[in-house]
Amino acid sequence: MQIKERPIPNAVVLDLTGDLTYAHRDSFKNAVEALRQKGCRHVILNMTDVRFVDSSGLGLLALISQNFKLNQGKVSMLRPQSYVREILGLANIPKLIPVFDNEQDAVNGKAQAA
Amino acid sequence: MEPATASHKPAAPTAPAVATVLLVDDEPVSRLSMAARLKRMGLRVLEAKDGKEGLAILRRERPDLTILDWVMPEMDGPTVCEQVRQDPDILSSQIILMTSHDQPEQIAEGLARGADDFLSKAASKQEVLARVQSGLRAASLVRSIESTRDELRAKQEELESELKSAGAYIQSLLPVAGDVGPGIHMAWTYRPSLALGGDLFNVSHWDDHSIYFYMLDASGHGVSPALRAASFATFLRAENLRHCITDNDPAAMLREANRRYPLTEDGSYFTVWIGSYDRTTHQVRYATAGHGGALIQRKDGSIEWLTSVQLPLGFEMNTPYDTTTIQIEDGDRMVLMSDGIYEAPAVTGELWGTTRLTATLTAHRATPIAAALPTLMAEAERWHGSPVFPDDAALLGLEFRI
Repeated sequence: MQIKERPIPNAVVLDLTGDLTYAHRDSFKNAVEALRQKGCRHVILNMTDVRFVDSSGLGLLALISQNFKLNQGKVSMLRPQSYVREILGLANIPKLIPVFDNEQDAVNGKAQAA
Repeated sequence: MEPATASHKPAAPTAPAVATVLLVDDEPVSRLSMAARLKRMGLRVLEAKDGKEGLAILRRERPDLTILDWVMPEMDGPTVCEQVRQDPDILSSQIILMTSHDQPEQIAEGLARGADDFLSKAASKQEVLARVQSGLRAASLVRSIESTRDELRAKQEELESELKSAGAYIQSLLPVAGDVGPGIHMAWTYRPSLALGGDLFNVSHWDDHSIYFYMLDASGHGVSPALRAASFATFLRAENLRHCITDNDPAAMLREANRRYPLTEDGSYFTVWIGSYDRTTHQVRYATAGHGGALIQRKDGSIEWLTSVQLPLGFEMNTPYDTTTIQIEDGDRMVLMSDGIYEAPAVTGELWGTTRLTATLTAHRATPIAAALPTLMAEAERWHGSPVFPDDAALLGLEFRI
């Protein structure tokens, strides 16, 4: 999976491309952890180009959300594709990581779209 | 586990300090003169007077290097090379073919028939030394690759045998199929994706009128999820649960498990479906933590999924897992399953899916449950096109008589 870091005012967006699965767990976890270590308080995962999330991916999402909460930080998600949205929904992930349809709403943390 | 020193095979014997060269030549004079040269280089020299004897010594002594005359009666040098390359025990031997007529076509023929290098009978002392040293270098590389390969093979076998015994342990945690109580018949079928599965299920007695049953899935692949699943299965044993909770409320089991099994630091977790059945009320109570795989098939054939959207275990402290209650009628059947079965992909990538799964169940409603579950597995296998699924596939069935 490709991960591109894109700082915006009051948050950092990670543009993700590919599959968020067991095979890619290290690169994803490392990218997010690096942001947390740097003191980032709000990471926005841009899910637009993520095709698939497996059970390991769900675990990582829960884990990074927990870790950010420990630092009074938060994680948000942007525009998951319909199949990914379904997988996330079944595991109730949006309860932990709010889902938004545009970056500005994600930064403001309001008008939850999902 | 045994201490490392005791469990490892002794390493392959190291090459002797003095390299051994086998010299095969039918002409006594040239053989003696070459042997003397080689000995002066500090090498141990074995001599053979023809190809046949050469092959015998090669097999017996495994020299580091063989220098082989081309022209010999009966079996010539290239023929010996060919025989060596066809014998798995000695095929990696280093061979230098020696000839007095070293035309390019001949060299090509010799190499094609299995020689590693060429040496002219007219070669200078320096050239002989250089070719022998180069041959010995190659031989020592080949030896070290072979010994590493043998070590890897031995370790692999050791690992596989340990995996097998761990797999046998996991299988021993699974229930014995048959009648688990008056009017409750149970069957299961299980196909771990590796030797070890991260999916486990069981049926246990809570008291003399109620049972509980579960299907759990440890996320991830390999040994670690299997170990965590075994630990969780131990937690779910009745004698342990009775210390933690007061009645067999599945949601209470999940709340307790949620406290005890937080996400691991690499994000591993469990999803689980737990139900309990009371023979006096004929009710099933169930609760799920992110696990979508349970349904009830009524006697009339209608199917209802028993799921609720709830976080897997360990995702969040104090997740309020809830219990849902359903009434069981005579002849109803419940099937608990791991996602590995309905997510079995076809070659095209298309998943088998719950629709095809329920259609198969419907088609086999009249089949006894002990036969219906293997049929379901076989259908998923047919879809997938291989008996090995990418994920564990487990089915647990219960049939109630009232």
